Amino acid sequence: MSNAIEAHGVSKTYTHSGGKTEALAGVDLNIPAGRVYGMIGRNGAGKTTFVRIGATQLALTSGSMTVLGHDVMTETSKVRLRIAAVPQESRPLYFLNVDELVYLYLKIRGAEAHDARQRTDAVLAELGLTSVRKSLVSHLSGGMRRRAMVAMVLASDADVLFLDEPTTGLDPIARREVWTAIRRAIHDGRTVLLTTHYLDEAEALSSRLALLEGGKVRLEGSPTEIRDRVRQPFRLVVSGVLGRAELETFGTVSAVEGGFLVFAKEAPARELAQLALSKGARVSLGPVTLEDIFLQVVGKAIDADDTPLETAA
Amino acid sequence: MTERHRLRSVLTLAYMNGVVPMRTQPLYLLSILASPLSFLFFVTVASGGTLFLYGIAGGMLLTVLSVGTSLQTDMSHYRTDLKFQDVIVASPVEAPVYVVGIAFSELVYSLPGIAVFILLGAFEAPVTVLAALEIFGVLLTVWVLATCLGFTLATFFADVRETFVFSSLVSLGLTVLPPVYYPITAIPASVRWLAYLSPTTYAAFLMQSAFGLTHLSLGSALIDWTVLLLSSLALLAIAGLKARWRDP
Repeated sequence: MSNAIEAHGVSKTYTHSGGKTEALAGVDLNIPAGRVYGMIGRNGAGKTTFVRIGATQLALTSGSMTVLGHDVMTETSKVRLRIAAVPQESRPLYFLNVDELVYLYLKIRGAEAHDARQRTDAVLAELGLTSVRKSLVSHLSGGMRRRAMVAMVLASDADVLFLDEPTTGLDPIARREVWTAIRRAIHDGRTVLLTTHYLDEAEALSSRLALLEGGKVRLEGSPTEIRDRVRQPFRLVVSGVLGRAELETFGTVSAVEGGFLVFAKEAPARELAQLALSKGARVSLGPVTLEDIFLQVVGKAIDADDTPLETAA
Repeated sequence: MTERHRLRSVLTLAYMNGVVPMRTQPLYLLSILASPLSFLFFVTVASGGTLFLYGIAGGMLLTVLSVGTSLQTDMSHYRTDLKFQDVIVASPVEAPVYVVGIAFSELVYSLPGIAVFILLGAFEAPVTVLAALEIFGVLLTVWVLATCLGFTLATFFADVRETFVFSSLVSLGLTVLPPVYYPITAIPASVRWLAYLSPTTYAAFLMQSAFGLTHLSLGSALIDWTVLLLSSLALLAIAGLKARWRDP
């Protein structure tokens, strides 16, 4: 499979009055074409910087990045012909209605009127915006406005879409409507680079993920590959009867509301589940979540402690 | 992008940012006229009616100059608050297309105001075709000047509220202190040189001459045109240097 985006040693240092801030430190990533690639990480991890470089909105300091084979710095106009972006915290022009927002955006990109009309009608229907198409965006909720922004770029003919936290502020149903539209974009052969703070979203949509922390890629791979690297791949929440000392013989324990969270390997996990049930304790067993991994990896970066979910990147 | 695509982008931007807001909120039209008509009213009343035509010429200039103020505010707002500029950057639209499109939208926005002053002028002091062409030429040059100034100033601000401060100062420097609404002889001789620092002074001379309010010799008219055009070209060059379609 070819790569839609390739980053080699991409670094970005912001210079400001207070000094310098290194936002990206030698990031290497290959983002396959025709897939959703998820990018997760804390605020300030470097996600938006990476997206803005790829979307040709920001110059990199060193390294190189290509989009569909074109260098973002030296072949910018070729890149721009084939991309579209929803920037983080972007908002629609308040005096337009939803229909105008999408239709006029397509016309500004150079689309023919009939093509822009067809694409607008289709995307508004797909994202559940048809009923509000004549409503001014200033009269919509924050979530609806965000959905309208996503509709704009999904309606475009761009081959690579940069979506920087596109579902922030959306309710669960609206989020899933956006997911459906993103999946359709993938069926059309497009590539989506998605940043999000919703780990369930990243997992549901992405064929591969990168976890950024401190401007570096800490984890990269498919959700399954990332889980497979976890040393203790099962999580149990145990409430009542069993004490911390006893639980620690099975794995790594941390206190959570109403009980303990235990990370364990498969055999100890099963053994602990049976023991807990036999003693009348409440127990839930399942694979570690992406959120567990995220918290542990990011937590490790924060306090430098070893973690039960330590991975081999 | 082909030339056809570029033209479509410019026209769509002009429609989107010029026509749609007026349709959405017709009160905008009144706000455009508020300042020029207020000045016209003030100078007319204060002069006992003798400066009415100066007020009309000044009103036309102020309306076109307000294009620069509006552009400055819109550019800053779209770049820093709405991130609309980033949306456009990540598209086939080139920087000059965006700037020209937004500039045209501001011109469209000011057309109703200009039309009111043209009607007032035509009713009160009809001009010859040659003078009408000169007025059109002056207003077109001032539009370029105001657009470049607005664009250049917009690149300085990280917050749209900062633009309001500069808008007021620019308006003061370009429309109130220079003799846009009154003859330059109304300014005390000791500080008259200050007026000559503003390019709008030369635009005002040409407008007042075209309306038959003053007589300009050919030499003076050439000097006024030269200063006005050079000022516009200088601002165009500065705007070109300041233009930044990708953050460093």
